[in-house]
Amino acid sequence: MNKRKESIAGLLFASPWLFGISAFLFYPLLMSLYLSFCDYSVLRPAVWIGTDNYRELFHDEVFWITVKNTLLYAVVSLPMSMILGIGLAMLLNSKVKGLTVYRTIFFIPSLVPVVSLAMLWLWLLNGEHGIINLGLGKIGINGPNWLSNPAWSKPALILMSLWGVGNAMLIYLASLQDVPVSLLEASELDGASSWQKTRNVTLPMISPVIQFNMVMGIIGSLQVFTEAFVMFPGGVPARSTYFYSMYLYDNAFNYSRMGYASAMGWILFIVIMILTGIALKLSNRHVHYGGV
Amino acid sequence: MKSKKKWLTILTHGVLISFSCLFIFPFLWLLDTAIKPIGETMKEPPVWIPSKFEFHNFWDAITYGSDKVGYIPFFVYAQNSLMLCTLVVVGRVISNSVVAYAFARLRWWGRDFVFALTLATMMVPFPVLMVPTFTIFRHLDWIGTYRPLWVPAWFGSAFSIFLLRQFFRTIPFELSEAARIDGAGEWLIFKSIILPLCKPALSVVALFAFMGTWNDFLGPLIYLLRQDTFTLAIGLEFYHSKAGGTQWNLLMAATAIVIMPVMIVFFFCQKQFIKGIAITGIK
Amino acid sequence: MIQIGKVFVPILAAMTVGAYLGTEARSHPAEDRKRTHIAVWVGWSGFEYDAFQAVVNDYNKQQNTIFVDLLSISGNSLKTLISASAGLPPEISLLSASEIPQFADAGAIEILDEICKENGLTEDKYVPGYWDVMQYQGHSYALPATPATIALHYNTDILKSAGYTKAPETIEEMTEMENKITTIKEGKMVMAGFLPTEPGWWTWAWGPFFGGKLWDGKSKITFNDPENLRAMEWYGSYSKRFGHQQLTAYKSGFGVFASPENGFLAGRVAMEVQGVWMSNFIKTYSPTLKWDAVPFPYPKDRPDLKGHTIVDQDIFVLLKGCKHRSEAIKFLAYCESQPAMEKLCLGQKKCSPLRNKTDEFWAKQENPRIRLFDEMAYSKNAFANPKIAIMPQYQAEISNALDEVALRTLTPKEAVDKVTARMQPKLENYLRVLEARRKAGK
Repeated sequence: MNKRKESIAGLLFASPWLFGISAFLFYPLLMSLYLSFCDYSVLRPAVWIGTDNYRELFHDEVFWITVKNTLLYAVVSLPMSMILGIGLAMLLNSKVKGLTVYRTIFFIPSLVPVVSLAMLWLWLLNGEHGIINLGLGKIGINGPNWLSNPAWSKPALILMSLWGVGNAMLIYLASLQDVPVSLLEASELDGASSWQKTRNVTLPMISPVIQFNMVMGIIGSLQVFTEAFVMFPGGVPARSTYFYSMYLYDNAFNYSRMGYASAMGWILFIVIMILTGIALKLSNRHVHYGGV
Repeated sequence: MKSKKKWLTILTHGVLISFSCLFIFPFLWLLDTAIKPIGETMKEPPVWIPSKFEFHNFWDAITYGSDKVGYIPFFVYAQNSLMLCTLVVVGRVISNSVVAYAFARLRWWGRDFVFALTLATMMVPFPVLMVPTFTIFRHLDWIGTYRPLWVPAWFGSAFSIFLLRQFFRTIPFELSEAARIDGAGEWLIFKSIILPLCKPALSVVALFAFMGTWNDFLGPLIYLLRQDTFTLAIGLEFYHSKAGGTQWNLLMAATAIVIMPVMIVFFFCQKQFIKGIAITGIK
Repeated sequence: MIQIGKVFVPILAAMTVGAYLGTEARSHPAEDRKRTHIAVWVGWSGFEYDAFQAVVNDYNKQQNTIFVDLLSISGNSLKTLISASAGLPPEISLLSASEIPQFADAGAIEILDEICKENGLTEDKYVPGYWDVMQYQGHSYALPATPATIALHYNTDILKSAGYTKAPETIEEMTEMENKITTIKEGKMVMAGFLPTEPGWWTWAWGPFFGGKLWDGKSKITFNDPENLRAMEWYGSYSKRFGHQQLTAYKSGFGVFASPENGFLAGRVAMEVQGVWMSNFIKTYSPTLKWDAVPFPYPKDRPDLKGHTIVDQDIFVLLKGCKHRSEAIKFLAYCESQPAMEKLCLGQKKCSPLRNKTDEFWAKQENPRIRLFDEMAYSKNAFANPKIAIMPQYQAEISNALDEVALRTLTPKEAVDKVTARMQPKLENYLRVLEARRKAGK
């Protein structure tokens, strides 16, 4: 085998991506780093202003509010959706009848376009005659004003995001089907209970997938945008649903402060890198790469 | 032992059914609303069974005001979405399989480094790239066209490359070695040995690409300008007019129509699809 | 396998090429060579769009050199800004008057002084309130499209059953009436006198209704002046009087604006701030409702504010760097002519911004109070959005402050101070940038 030839072939095969990663990732990344030190509105050329944007951000109260909101959302919604996703996937992995139907039911919500999703939930969650509160009323719970009470607007969004857990569930399900039956049978022979089997065999076997989904979840939940953008324009009530990406979008396109928005983008990037790094480090101990 | 197993099955079913109810309920409510007369969509207490089943709502939704300009050209949006999805899906599948081949089955200088970089780029949040990418397309005079939405798809995407690389590596290397000895070039090996074996994985990439594009909101919001170029995902917002005169029943009917194709595809292809994900083994 | 590939691949290739050609055709529509096409983008939809389309059709028919392509665009101002930045603006776009400073500062729209003079579109032709909002830094930046003024609409039946035959004249009277009309039964609100959050569209205007100014016109944010503070206290008094929980619960029971379940149209709110368009919605969704309209009340000790109103106007702007400038000007001049303007305004059920109105125009108006809305625009107390480009941000800050005062997480004093403290540096920064640009420009 000619090494040189293989090298050339490799570069040729990889060339679309080498171009793509440079043009659509590295160049924009560097450019946004540059812009984050500029005063820049789309219609006028960028003017270098040093670290002004970053300094202003540091003192920008709204910035900190959106940071707090976003972290809070991520910290609550991510574990909940992971637990729900894994739980449902495990149930679906048992050999019960009607699996195809169940799978489809759990997956449907993640197919609903976000705009419709937001409209539908605006309505389900309506404090006065929303179906959710009517249902809660039936069992004697006085439902909150999900949409107009700042204490409940974030839980409302989290509830909605849980409804869309189907995508992640599918990935867990696929990995569960990969767990060798022989291992499970072996532990059964050893007299392990269902819970022990789950804890000692299944979970470790799918741990790489859990870790992968966790990392993707961190990245995704810190960027939460569309649902809130459609349901709670401006982050009402009282900025309780004003998330980081929404403030970034407002700065870029409503306030014509693209430089400021770029600075926000870079801070987000760095935070995501740090958090992902920590998450990987902490979880690596529990991740089992035996597998298939 | 037997009876314990039976109980377990019943319990599993019970839990699954109750969760199914929670999951399907909003969707049923959506369908229910889609066939209601507009007057019953916002009633208190809610109307469960409409007084009249207005199945023509589905037709009304897609032809809403089609006799007048400036309303909601559903078919135009659907066409736009489909064209865009075709371009993105084809682009994603072709480019990513080619690139993944380079990462999975060829050795070249800097490969592992580039692959590590590729994985790292998954961490770049979209908002960071939003402003400069917009500027790039502005310089290319592409604002208002579909190109910013599909051209990048032809140059690969980190997630799909990763997915396919994992899959390609599971194919025995002896197969390509044998072909090489027979004098086959890399392109031929890729095309006639690797690709035919990778259909499940390719279908996963295609479905993810399709769903992502079909539901993409922010991209079309920024790059498309004129209403007749809009896609369904943003076109749906027109049913929720600015002053707030939402045609609830029509919005829900339109939504049902929008998700139906994907739902049907999923229902029939889920086995293949799950197999695709399983074998790629995201790990 | 290979057989499938042989069929499948060409089909897929054909589809891809088709999709490519299709998308290209969509985004570059073929132009009719015989006439010059000008693009006009509006955010209108529904009957408002139809009214303008009728005017455009007349124009397209009446001459054969120019063809106007009218497009309804959702989120029009953002799209206009984006396409201007991309160097492909439409010729004309329809904005809200409050957006002039932003577009003017960005250098996206043309100064129309010369064009107005050449076409005889002068100040004396227009109702003063509507002309004033076009002006920014001493220049005309836009031409009026459809104007609107805002008044207090009230449900005469509800007022009558509470023993009132007249609308409130002052804020104090209004408060007294609200206290009487608002009813809470078994712990639940069943009737509201007035809700500042219904519809809650002009959140920046409460201060000005009390005589407050949002800035001094030079360099200072004056949101913490006594009048604005007073407005904030008044706004907060609703939560104090009726309970925030109670108010939001009641309001969430209302349907969307254009529906019979709208709070005012359903007879669940006695008084509401609304524009000239409201009569049309009453006619459509609640035809039996008895109503009337008066200028919004003024504070008792400020009779000088009597007859005040918000001027909220849709405007035409000419985009810089558009392809067919002179043709666009011709079309604009046509729109500003009396017959075209009256057709447009009549179709949209609004007043004409022109001083001269034909008898036919008045006769065809369906709004019984149309004269009131017209008169208010002549009032010296008519006011509009302040002319600074940082208004979107200011607006966001004000809305949030109102929210916090209603929730009682901030006192009115803290709220006005907070907004002032947040906006002052933004204003200074904005003025500094403007100054730098001015120096660089000349």
